[in-house]
Amino acid sequence: MEHDREWYDVNIFRPRKGYMTGEVVIILFVLLGWAVANFGVQAILWLLSETPQGEGILTRLTFLSFPWHFWFTAQFLPLWFIILCILFNIYIDRHTEQHSRRKDRSHD
Amino acid sequence: MTDAGPNLIPLIIVTLALASFIVAGLRARARSASDYGIGGRYIGRIGGGAAIASNWMSAASLLGMGGLLYLHGYYALAYVIGWTGGYVLLLVLMAGQIRRFGKYTAPDFVGDRYASPMAGLISAGISITISIIYCTAQFKGIGMLFAWLFGTDYRNGVILGAVVVVGYVIISGVLGVARNQQLQYTLLIVSFILPLMVLAYKLGYFWVLPQFGYGVAIQDLKREFGINFAAPFASGSLFQWISLCFTLMVGTAGLPHVLSRFYVVPNIRDARWSLVWGLFFIALIYWSAPAYAVFARLLEARSGVSLSPAAAERMADLVVIKTAVMGGLPPWMIGILAAGAVSAAFFTVAGLLITGASSFSHDIYYRFINPRASETTKMALSKAAVVALAGVVLVVALDPPGLIAEITAVAFALAGNTIFPAFLLGIWWGRANRHGVIAGMLTGVVITFSAPLFGGFLPLVADIFPLTSSAFFGAPTVIAIMVGVSLLTPPPPDEVRRFLAEQVHGHMD
Repeated sequence: MEHDREWYDVNIFRPRKGYMTGEVVIILFVLLGWAVANFGVQAILWLLSETPQGEGILTRLTFLSFPWHFWFTAQFLPLWFIILCILFNIYIDRHTEQHSRRKDRSHD
Repeated sequence: MTDAGPNLIPLIIVTLALASFIVAGLRARARSASDYGIGGRYIGRIGGGAAIASNWMSAASLLGMGGLLYLHGYYALAYVIGWTGGYVLLLVLMAGQIRRFGKYTAPDFVGDRYASPMAGLISAGISITISIIYCTAQFKGIGMLFAWLFGTDYRNGVILGAVVVVGYVIISGVLGVARNQQLQYTLLIVSFILPLMVLAYKLGYFWVLPQFGYGVAIQDLKREFGINFAAPFASGSLFQWISLCFTLMVGTAGLPHVLSRFYVVPNIRDARWSLVWGLFFIALIYWSAPAYAVFARLLEARSGVSLSPAAAERMADLVVIKTAVMGGLPPWMIGILAAGAVSAAFFTVAGLLITGASSFSHDIYYRFINPRASETTKMALSKAAVVALAGVVLVVALDPPGLIAEITAVAFALAGNTIFPAFLLGIWWGRANRHGVIAGMLTGVVITFSAPLFGGFLPLVADIFPLTSSAFFGAPTVIAIMVGVSLLTPPPPDEVRRFLAEQVHGHMD
C-alpha cells in the first residue's frame, strides 16, 4: 500500500520514472534559457552601468544601429522566446514519439 | 492637429470595419452550417496561431504599450518582454497538462482538481474580477478613440463607446455571428504595420521592415535633441523592471481566457505548435510598438512641441494615433489604424464580458444558488450579467485609475497571484489540497491589492508589492502558503491524485 501511494505521487522535483522524467528535464532546460537570457542580462546591464540612468558599455555598443541592450531586449528576447518554444516542441515531440513507440500507440 | 471636431474619414472606416466583421461572421455561419457540419472546420497550426494572437491582442497591445514606451522608453520594454516571455511559461508548464486534465475553464479546473466547490467558487470570483479590470482598460482605450473620432471629450467618448460595444456584443450574439479570428488578426497586423512603414518612409528610415529599422531614429533622438530613449534605468530601477516583467509573465500563464485557448485545437501537438505561431504573430506587433513611440518622440521634438509630463500622460494612450496624425499620414490610413485598435478592444471586451457572464450564471448561480435552474433561466441571467458587468466597468472607466497598460497589468498581477499558483501546483504537485489552494488564492487577492489597501500606513508593503508588479514576491509567497497549508492538512482524495498521475502525467507509460 505504501509503495502504491508513492507510485501516484506527482512532484515536479521528484518526477515519476518514464515519460515524466524526460519531460521535466526538457522543461528545466527551457526555463533555464528563459531565466538567464531575460533576468540575467538585465542584471549584467545593471552591474556594468556607470551612471544612475544605467549608461555603460552595453548601451554604448551598437548593433544594427540600435544601442546593444535595446536591441537585445526589444528585438532579440521575443525572438529568443520563439526559439525556446520551437526547441521545446521539437524535443517534446521526439520524446513523445519514443514513448509512444514503446507503448505501441499513436502519440497524444 | 485634427483634434477639433470629428474625424469623419477615420470614423467611416472604423464603422465599415466593424460592420464587415458582422457580415463576414454571418456568411461564415451560413457556410459552416451547410458545408462543414456542426463541428466547424479545422484551421491548421498557422490559423490556430492567428486565433491565439487575435484572442490576445487588445487595446493594451495596440495602444497602451506604445503609450508607456513613449512615456518611459526602455523601462516599458518590460511589457514587451513580459507579454511574450509569459508564453514560454504557459507552453512548458501548462499547455499540454491542462489539456490532458480536460477542464475547459479556470473555475472548472480548480474546482475539480482540488475537489472543492468552494475553491471553484473563489476562482470564479477572481476570474470575473480579472475580466472587469481587463475590460476597464479596454473601455479607456475605446473611450479615448471614440472621443477622438467624434471630436468630443473623454467622458462622452467612453459612454458612447460603452453603448456601442455592448450593442455590438448583443447584436453579434442575437445574429449568431461567428468569430473569424484569422480575419481579425489580418486586420490588426495590417492596420498596425502599414502606417508604420509609411511613417518610417516619410521620416527617411528603413521602411521595408520598420520594426527593425528604427535604431537610427533612437540615435538621432539622442544626438539631435538629447533625448535618451534607451537609458535602461531612467524610469525605474532594476527591481522595478524585473518585478514588472515577472508579474506580466506569470499573469500571462494564469489568465483564464488565455488558458482556455488550448481546447480549440484537436490535439495537443497541434495546440503546442499553434502556440509558437501565436507567439510569432504577437511578436510581430510587439516588435513594432516601440517604433511608434520613438517616432512620436522624434516628430514632437522636430516640430518643437514640448508637452508637460501631465499633458504627455493624458495623451499617451492615444500616442499611436497621434504619431500617425503628426507624421501627416492620409486620413484613410489613420482610419485603418484606428479600426485595428477599435476592433482589438471590441473583441477583447466581447470575449471577456461573455466569459465573465457565463461564469456568473454557471459557476456561481447554477452551482451554488439554484442547481435546478433551467437553460432558459441561465441564458437570461447571462445576458443580464453582460449588461451588469459592462455597467460596472463603465463606472470604473469614467475615472480611469491609470494608463491602459498599467490597468491591464493589475489584472495580470491578480492572475499571477491566484490562478497561476493554483494551476502550477495543481498540475505539478499531487499533494496540493483544497485548504492550501483556498488559503493561497485568498492571500493572493490580498497581496494584489495590498499597495492601495495598506501602502498608506505601511510604505514597505507598497515597495514589496507594487500594484502593477506584485506577483514577483506575491506568486512565490502564495506558492509557499499553498505548500505549507497543504502539508498541515489531509491530502486530496485518492482518485484526484491517481487521475493526475495516470492521465495527466502517466499517459505515455
